Amino acid sequence: MKLASTAKRAARRFASSLPALFGVLVFTFLLMRVLPGDPAVFFASGPNAGKEEIETIRKQMGLDKPVPQQLVLYLYDVGRGNLGRSLMTGQNVTKDLKERLPASLELTFSALLIALVSAIPLGILAALRPGSLIDHGVRLFCALGVCVPTFVSGLLLIYVFYYLLGIAPDPTGRVDIFMTLPPSHTGFLLIDFLIAGDFEGWWAAFKQLILPACTMALFVIAPLARITRASMLASLGSDFVRTARSVGLSWWRIVVTYALRNAILPVITIAGIVFSTMLGANVLVEKVFSWPGVASYALDALLSSDYAPVQGFVLLMAFVFVIVNLVVDVLYGIADPRISIG
Amino acid sequence: MSSATLQHAAFILRGNPITAVAAAGSTLLILVGLFAPWLAPYDPIASDVANALQAPSAAHWAGTDQLGRDVFSRIIVATQLDLTIALSAVGISFVLGAVIGALCGYTGGRLDRSVGRFVDVLMAFPLFVLAMAMVAALGNRVENIVIATAIINLPFYIRFARAEVNVRRNLGWVEAARASGESHVSVVLRFLLPNVLPAMVVQMSLNLGWAIINAAGLSFIGLGVKPPTPEWGIMVAEGARFISTGKWWLVAFPGLALMLAVLCFNLLGDGLRDILDPRQRT
Amino acid sequence: MRLTYSKQMLGAAAALAFVVAAGPLQAQTRAETLRYVTGASVNTLDPNIPGSTREAFAVSLSTYDRLVSFGRKQLNGKWVFDLDSIRGELAESYEVSPDGLKITFKLRKDAKFQDGSPVTAEDVKWSLDRAVTAKILGKAQLLTGSLTDASQFKAIDPLTFEVTLPKPDKLALPNLATVYPIIINSKLAKSHTTEEDPWAQAWLKDNTAGSGAYILESFKPGEQVMLKRNDDWNRGPGGKQAFFKRLILQSVPEPATRANLVEKGDVDIVIDLQASDAQSLEAKGKLQVISTPQYNAMTFISMNNQMPPFDKVDVRRAIAYALPYDDMFKAALFGRGELLTGATWADGKPPSGAFPIKQPIKLDLDKAKAYLKAAGFPDGFSTTFSFNVGQSATAEPMAALLKESLGKIGIKVDIQKLPDAQMSTQITEKKLPFFTEGIVAWLPSTDYFYRNFYTGNQRWNYSSIDNAELTSIAQEARFEADKTKYEADGVKLNAINFDQMPQVPLWQPSQDAVMAPSIAGYTYQFHRQVDYRDLSRK
Repeated sequence: MKLASTAKRAARRFASSLPALFGVLVFTFLLMRVLPGDPAVFFASGPNAGKEEIETIRKQMGLDKPVPQQLVLYLYDVGRGNLGRSLMTGQNVTKDLKERLPASLELTFSALLIALVSAIPLGILAALRPGSLIDHGVRLFCALGVCVPTFVSGLLLIYVFYYLLGIAPDPTGRVDIFMTLPPSHTGFLLIDFLIAGDFEGWWAAFKQLILPACTMALFVIAPLARITRASMLASLGSDFVRTARSVGLSWWRIVVTYALRNAILPVITIAGIVFSTMLGANVLVEKVFSWPGVASYALDALLSSDYAPVQGFVLLMAFVFVIVNLVVDVLYGIADPRISIG
Repeated sequence: MSSATLQHAAFILRGNPITAVAAAGSTLLILVGLFAPWLAPYDPIASDVANALQAPSAAHWAGTDQLGRDVFSRIIVATQLDLTIALSAVGISFVLGAVIGALCGYTGGRLDRSVGRFVDVLMAFPLFVLAMAMVAALGNRVENIVIATAIINLPFYIRFARAEVNVRRNLGWVEAARASGESHVSVVLRFLLPNVLPAMVVQMSLNLGWAIINAAGLSFIGLGVKPPTPEWGIMVAEGARFISTGKWWLVAFPGLALMLAVLCFNLLGDGLRDILDPRQRT
Repeated sequence: MRLTYSKQMLGAAAALAFVVAAGPLQAQTRAETLRYVTGASVNTLDPNIPGSTREAFAVSLSTYDRLVSFGRKQLNGKWVFDLDSIRGELAESYEVSPDGLKITFKLRKDAKFQDGSPVTAEDVKWSLDRAVTAKILGKAQLLTGSLTDASQFKAIDPLTFEVTLPKPDKLALPNLATVYPIIINSKLAKSHTTEEDPWAQAWLKDNTAGSGAYILESFKPGEQVMLKRNDDWNRGPGGKQAFFKRLILQSVPEPATRANLVEKGDVDIVIDLQASDAQSLEAKGKLQVISTPQYNAMTFISMNNQMPPFDKVDVRRAIAYALPYDDMFKAALFGRGELLTGATWADGKPPSGAFPIKQPIKLDLDKAKAYLKAAGFPDGFSTTFSFNVGQSATAEPMAALLKESLGKIGIKVDIQKLPDAQMSTQITEKKLPFFTEGIVAWLPSTDYFYRNFYTGNQRWNYSSIDNAELTSIAQEARFEADKTKYEADGVKLNAINFDQMPQVPLWQPSQDAVMAPSIAGYTYQFHRQVDYRDLSRK
C-alpha cells in the first residue's frame, strides 16, 4: 500500500520536473550558440585549413542551417537518445558520456561517503556539547575545509603524497595503467574488481581514488556537519528524547537510536543536494587528477566551443539532479512515517 | 537594531570568540581593501624582470613573481578587487532575489508559477559549468564574472524570500497593515521584507566566501580577470603550478590571503546566524 | 599467486593492505614499455579527419607507413629532421626523372599490412587518390607539392608506382613524407565504405588499416591510447623493428603533474612542460632535457595591417621599437628558445634569404616615439591586445610587459584573454587588431612561409598584409630551381618584411623534450611531436 503510493508520488514528481529538463535543454542550446567561438573554424585549424574545410565541418555539424531549425533537429535527436557528435573526441556524445559517467559517479559517491563518515560524527559531537571547545573546534575545522579552492588542495595533496612521500600512486586516472582492468559489470572499478576477485586491482583503484575523493570531501564536510549538528540539537531537545531520558535509557542508546534516527532526515536531504552539486562541480578536481570523468570532458568542450558535449553534459547533470531529488524524496517518504502520502 | 539585540550580540560574541575574531578579520579585510593603494609598498603592476622569482626577503616580504612584481603589494591591492567581486555579486543576487522572491511570495499566481519554473531550470544546472559558460560567452571581464556568480546564486535567494514572505503574508499584522490602507508595494517593502532580511544576511555572508572561491576556480581554467590586474584567485592558480619547482611563496601567500578572507566570511556568517536566530543555530 | 604484505602499506592502511607482489614479468615489460604523457589528446586514428589533433598525428606515424620519410641530421649537437634527405619507408627506392616531372617508386617486397596482406601499388594508389580527392586534410597539404588529382598517380605493376607532376616541384617528394599521405590497406578499407562515404572516413577514424610499426591495442579518445609493436615491421633505421614492445600514451591536463610524473620516473618522456618546469628539471640534472629551438616555427606579435591605426607602417615600426624583448623572453620562456630580435644587419640589408630570420629591432623608446609622431599619433592611442587561454603560461607575462612598455609611449593597451575557439574565429574573421600567435611550417622554406603566412586574404595571413611586390616574389620563388636566385629572392622578401613590419617577430620557442636518462634516439620532428619509432632504452 505504502510502496505503491510512494511509487505513484515519485512518478508524479518526475513528470513535474520534465519541463525543467526541457528548459535546461533549450537554455544550454541557446547559450552555446551565443558563445562567440565558431567550432568549425577552431577544429579546422590544421596547418593548411581553408574555407572549404571550415564549410565541411560546419555542414557536418549542421551549423549551416538557421538556429531555430538546428534547435528542432537537436530536440528531435535528443528525443531519440542521440546527443550528437563531439568534434573533440570524434565520438558520439552519448557514448562518451556513458563511458565517463561511472568515473565521475564513483568519485562523487566515494567523496560523499568520506564526507558523511566524517561529518556526521563531527556534527553529533558538536551538538552534544553546544558552545564548548569541541563545538568551536568542529566549526573551525569545517570552515577551514571550505576556504581552500579544490584545485589548490588537490595539487597540494599530489605534491605531498605523490611527489614528496611517494605513498600515493601517480595521479593519472582511475587505475594504475599497467593493471589489467576487470570485466565491466557496473563501471565502478571498486565493485568490478571485487566481483572479479582481484584484490590487487581493487587496492590499486582504491589508492587512485582516495586523494581526489578526499579533495572533494573536504569541501562538503561543512554543510553536512552543520545540518547534522542543527538537527541533532533539535532532536535532542525534543519531547521523546526527554521522555527516553526520564525512563533511564542509556545515554548511548538515546543518542544513536532515538536522537540520531530522527535527526538523519534533514541530513539525507542536504546530502542529496550536495551530491548533485558535487557531480557537476568537480571539474577542477577531475582536471587536477586527470580523472576521465564527465565534468572535465565538458570543460574541454566548452573551451573549444564544441557544442554537443556541453549540451549533453548539462542535460545529463540536470537529469541526475532530478533523479537524486526523487531518490531523496522516496527515502524521506519511507524513513519518515509522518510524511503523508498524497 | 534594538538595544536588546545589541546586548544579545555582545553576549554571543563573548561566548563565541571565533565569531568575534571573524568579525574583526572581516573588518580588517574591508579596511585593507579600502586603503590598499596607500598600504602597498610597491606598484603592484610594475615589473622588474631582473629581480624575478625572488624568495621572500626584507625588501619583498612575500617574494617576487615571474615578472619581478612584489607579491605582497599585489596581494594587498587584490583585496580591493576580490572584495568588490564578492560583494557586488552577492549584493546583486541578494537584491534581485529578495525583490523577485518577495513579489512571487506575496502575489502568488501566474508570476509565482513562471518564476518558479525558471528557478527550477536554474537549479537543475551544474552551477560551476553554467558560470564557466556564461563567462566564456560574455568575455572574461570583471563585470561578467560578477554577473555569472550572481546568477548562479540567485535561485537560493528567490526561493528563500518567496518562502518566508509566503508564510507571513496572511498573518494578522500584515492583514492589519493592508486594512489600514497601506499599498501592496509598501506592505512588501515595509512590513514583509525587513522580516526576511536578517536570515538572508546570514546567507550573504556565507556566499561571500563562496564567491571568492568561485572566482578563483574560474581563474584556474583561464577564465579569470585579465592580466596584469592582481587578483587572489589568478595569483593562486598561477602559483599552484610552481609548487613543484620550489617557488612556494607564489601560491602560499595569495592562498593564505584568500583562505583568510573566505574563513572570516564563513565564520562570520555562522556567528551572525547565532545572533539573529538563536533557536535555529546550525 | 603469492600474497605478501608490503611494509609501507601496512603503515598506511593495514586493514586494506591486500597486496599481490608484482611479478618479475611486469618489471621486465616496464623496461620495454614507453610511457608518454601529454596535455593534449588523441581524437582520431586517421590524421586526415578535420579536427585531428597533433597527438593524433603522432599516433598515425606509428600505425601507418608513408612512401617516404625524412632523414635526420645534427643541429648544434641535437638530432633534428632533415628536409633534404628523404629515405624510403614503404618505397625501397625512388627515382626522379631528369625533367623533374615523374617520380617512380619501387615498393618493398616484404612489406605487409598488419592483417598480413602484402602492400601493393594498388593500395598506394587508392590511398593517395583518397588524400587528394576526399574532403580531408591531406588535400590542402598535398596541394603545396603540386599533387592535386588522382590522375597523377599510377600503379605500373604490383611493386611499381608512379607520380606525374604538371611542372617540377621541389616540394612534391617532401609532401609525401608529411603526416597525411598514409598508405592504407585498401581492400580492408574498401570493405567499410558506404554510398555517402566512399573513402571509409568514418571507419578509419576509429580503426587502423596500416602497415606501421605499432598495432593499436586500445583507444579511448581524449584519455589514452595503447599500442603494441608490430614485430614484422622493419622500416626503422638499419632495417630494424621499433625498440619498445609497448607504447602507452596518456592525457594528463595539468602541466605541473606531468613534470612530477617524469621526474619521479613514472613516465619516460614528455614534451609539453611549462618552461619553468623544464628549467627546474634541467637544473636538478637527474633527467635528460633536450631543448631544440623550433626552427620551423615562430612566435610573433601581429598587427592587422588593414585596420587603423595599424594600417600606418610607422605605427607598426613604433611598436617594434617599444617592446622589451629580452625581458619578455626571460619572463615568458625563461630564456628557452631563440630570440628573433636584436640582430645587427650590416648596411641595413638582410644577411640571408632564410626565414624566420633574426631582425635588427630592439627596445628603443626614443625611436618608437619618433615613429609614433611621424604616424600622427604623438600622444599614442588605445588598443586591445589578445591571446588565447591555451597560451596563458607564456602569453600572460609577455602581455603584461607589453602593456607596461607601450604605456611609456602613450599607447594604452587592454589585454584580452580569449578561449581558443573564440580566438581562432576572430582571427579568421580578421577582427583582431593586435595579438600574439605562432606559426609553423612542416616544410620550412622561405617561399613557403611567405606564401602561406604573408599573402592572400586567408586565415594564416595573420597580419592581413597585402603587398603586391612581396606576393609576386614569393610566387616566383616557389618554382625557382636556381639556388642563388632563390637565395636572392629570399633576401628581397626579408627586406620587404623588415621594411613593412607587418608583424613583430619574437622568438622560436624551444621544444623541451624531458626524458628519463635511459631514453635514446629522440629527434625533433617537423610535426613537433615525438616519433615513437625513433626512441629506444639504453
